[in-house]
Amino acid sequence: MQAAQSVPTPAVAAERGIIQRTLRSAAWLGWQIESNWTDPLIFIIYSVIKPLASASILVVMYSVITGGNFDSPIFPYIYLGNAFYIYVAAVLNGVSWCVIEDREQYRMLKYIYIAPVVIPVYLLGRGFAKFVFGSLAVFITISFGVLFLNVPLDLAQVDWPLFVLSLFLGLLMLAMMGLTLGSVILLIVNNVYFVGEAVAGALFLFSGAIFPLDVLPAWLRPIGYIIPITYWLELVRRALIGSVAESFQTLAGFSNGQLIGILVSLTIVFTIIAFVTFRYCDHQAREKGYIDRVTNF
Amino acid sequence: MDLAIQTKDLGRVYKIRGSKKEKARELIALKDVNLEVKRGELFGLLGPNGAGKTTLIKILTTLLAPSSGFAKVAGFDVIQEAEKVRPRINMVSGGESSGYGLLTVRENLWMFAQFYGIPSKVANQRISDLLKIVHLEDRINTKSSDLSTGLRQKMNIVRGFLTDPDVLFLDEPTLGLDVEASRDVRKFVEGWVAENPQRTLLLTTHYMVEADELCDRVAIINAGRVLACDSPTNLKRQLQQDAIYRMEVSPLNGLGPDSFEQLKGVNKALHEAKDGFSILELMLAEDDALGSVVNMLTSRDIHILNLQKREPTLEDVFVTLVGKSMMEVESGDGG
Amino acid sequence: MATVDRVYKNTGARLFLQTIVGRAYPRVVGLLRERTWFFFDVLLPVISVSAYVFIYRAIQAPDIYIGFVVMGGAMTAFWLNILWAMSSQMYWEKETGNLALYIMAPNSLMAILLGMALGGLFATSQRALVITLAGLFLFGVQIQVSSYLLLFSVFMLTMIALYGMGMMTASLFLLLNREAWHFSNMAQEPVYLASGFYFPIKSFDFWIAAGASIIPLTLGLDAMRQLSFPGGVELGFIHVNIEVAVLAVLSIVFLFGARWLLGFMERLAIREGRLTDARR
Repeated sequence: MQAAQSVPTPAVAAERGIIQRTLRSAAWLGWQIESNWTDPLIFIIYSVIKPLASASILVVMYSVITGGNFDSPIFPYIYLGNAFYIYVAAVLNGVSWCVIEDREQYRMLKYIYIAPVVIPVYLLGRGFAKFVFGSLAVFITISFGVLFLNVPLDLAQVDWPLFVLSLFLGLLMLAMMGLTLGSVILLIVNNVYFVGEAVAGALFLFSGAIFPLDVLPAWLRPIGYIIPITYWLELVRRALIGSVAESFQTLAGFSNGQLIGILVSLTIVFTIIAFVTFRYCDHQAREKGYIDRVTNF
Repeated sequence: MDLAIQTKDLGRVYKIRGSKKEKARELIALKDVNLEVKRGELFGLLGPNGAGKTTLIKILTTLLAPSSGFAKVAGFDVIQEAEKVRPRINMVSGGESSGYGLLTVRENLWMFAQFYGIPSKVANQRISDLLKIVHLEDRINTKSSDLSTGLRQKMNIVRGFLTDPDVLFLDEPTLGLDVEASRDVRKFVEGWVAENPQRTLLLTTHYMVEADELCDRVAIINAGRVLACDSPTNLKRQLQQDAIYRMEVSPLNGLGPDSFEQLKGVNKALHEAKDGFSILELMLAEDDALGSVVNMLTSRDIHILNLQKREPTLEDVFVTLVGKSMMEVESGDGG
Repeated sequence: MATVDRVYKNTGARLFLQTIVGRAYPRVVGLLRERTWFFFDVLLPVISVSAYVFIYRAIQAPDIYIGFVVMGGAMTAFWLNILWAMSSQMYWEKETGNLALYIMAPNSLMAILLGMALGGLFATSQRALVITLAGLFLFGVQIQVSSYLLLFSVFMLTMIALYGMGMMTASLFLLLNREAWHFSNMAQEPVYLASGFYFPIKSFDFWIAAGASIIPLTLGLDAMRQLSFPGGVELGFIHVNIEVAVLAVLSIVFLFGARWLLGFMERLAIREGRLTDARR
């Protein structure tokens, strides 16, 4: 079966309202799966401990070397970058991991495939719950930083339009990266733990999240310049704490408008990559009979 | 008496709770089950879905503790002496997905043989021999994720016999197998028990034909209780005095089975609506009662399309004991 | 009626070893047949660990801290092996129906868990090795081992205690369902923090570090750093000999604890009917 036959064209799908239905059902399903695995108290503990522990590692590393000098601009640079980077792992994982979950654990992927839904939209919808819980983790981390670690975030000084726009673009960009990864996962088995986190962990190095790109050797920096996450995090920093972003020269030569333009362009590129990759991997998975493959691995 | 399986007043209660806010309620899965299976027997456990067959098997295979009573397998208590029971048993369930899809059939079976301490050389030879019997030898090097459901079930069945258990539990083993494969398995199972008087096999099924054909004795279980336990012949003999008729008639036009049961001499009537006609199964105290049934039908202008007298089956035994057919019990129909 | 020869079966230590090999086999073979693990489980984590190296470079930390990150990064592989190849793997085995078959067999659950861990060790050791090599050759980490024998002993004691602890936590997972996945996920970063994977544990208050020492990797890492890096002793928590003694005690306690807890949890799971219910 050719891939072109398996996914309705966008025009046809939109006409039938399939996209909305797929997105709504997938988001509901993702929410059900993510939200009812334990009681509220344990969930709150889990939601607080994990992001704070991750942030605390950086805080301790920083304070061991600098003697706890949280007033230096490098500290909020690291802290904010790390906080918003939570979205990267959450969305990448949320969109991609459900392929393995549905295929191997719940054995439902084959039924989703034969239903009248748009699979890429289904994957994106499934990632919605992880985005919500990721937002909670980001909020907790930033709040902790502001309250206890002198992160100089003043709500009155925040450029809210810029923040909302960059957050929206960033999440769209991450969703497309997640879709790319999810497509690849159609062809591999359940022997990797949280693939999304592994990829996010690798991108951590190149995205300027926790140190300016200038720290990297010159031959590695170009990788950072082609990853949209780099521009996204810079925009978020500029929106939230402009003075911190100004202290670092890496992207100082770009205006907000230029950064937004670059982010939009790269998001479009990654969107194209995502859908091309999906069509290829979807076709390969059907050819090889991987859609309902159960390896128990 | 040398017993392979013995249970006394065996019971199991589950606590079920829908959502976390709901109060837990009790579900009685087994109650006062008393069974004695002799060594060398091929014993059947027959009942509808949800009767408690799998719960009983789980207890006997040391996977679940009873809430009351006790159970012994191969002479050892399943709870107090589980470590002595386990080397002597094995279990195969219908529709199971055990093993690892990335391993071949041979590798999966070899792995399970290791867990029983079977040396590799012996294990590989047994694997080859057993796969030949179930006609799976040509797929020995196929990854199990590439097998169809039926072939995978054949592999599972080989896994059960591979370890040469004293007591083997087969829980709906022919689920997913085609007619020919089911026949092969049944033939093999019979031969396996007959080959060695030390071997005992407990088979659960809701296929009456399977129980009738294979088992030395059958226990009929429903709603957690054993209703009868005897050889298929003796169980059916209890109904020998009944005359059992199967009629195909034109649509009954609202006439229900209870209308027929009100007639003298009609012990039980079962009805199944089909496309354009109905099937009536009647258990009559005597042949003469058929006349009143025919009168009732003809008085309502219902035509008799076919009439057969047949021998009682285990399904009839079940209906007599429970008051409904197995299908009605499973669907929750009042019947 | 002709009798049939019964199949010979090993018992005791032989059965224990066979079970380990049998259970390790699918993991090793599976990795060889599906090679994407090298990219996701080895290469990507190396890049991820490198990020922490550059954080230290960004804040101009002394080179010894780079070495700490590399060693800590290498040891994350073993912690993740415990979490995902042992502990929460029990939940996965329950889902697939394999757990019931393992428990019903006459083998030891400890042997099954060891098999899982050793099978996963293939990928784990690759990951640790690649991270270490990256540290030595890419980041120029300087090592100066004061005693290879002591270093090896510390490493082995840490592994024994760690895997003993892993078996204890795996036994708890016999009772869990979907939450097992999340508990394992929750145990990643807090342990990285508490055990000082990326910084010297001496940075914490003495009693916090002492409490964290219940995790074998805490003292194991600290001792290995003291033995491997010039200047490591100054950043050490307590004397290496004391750490070795504590690790030895932990090894014994955790191994015996694992044996007892596995038996207890298995009996509890059998009583409560949790071994076979796949509540996804």
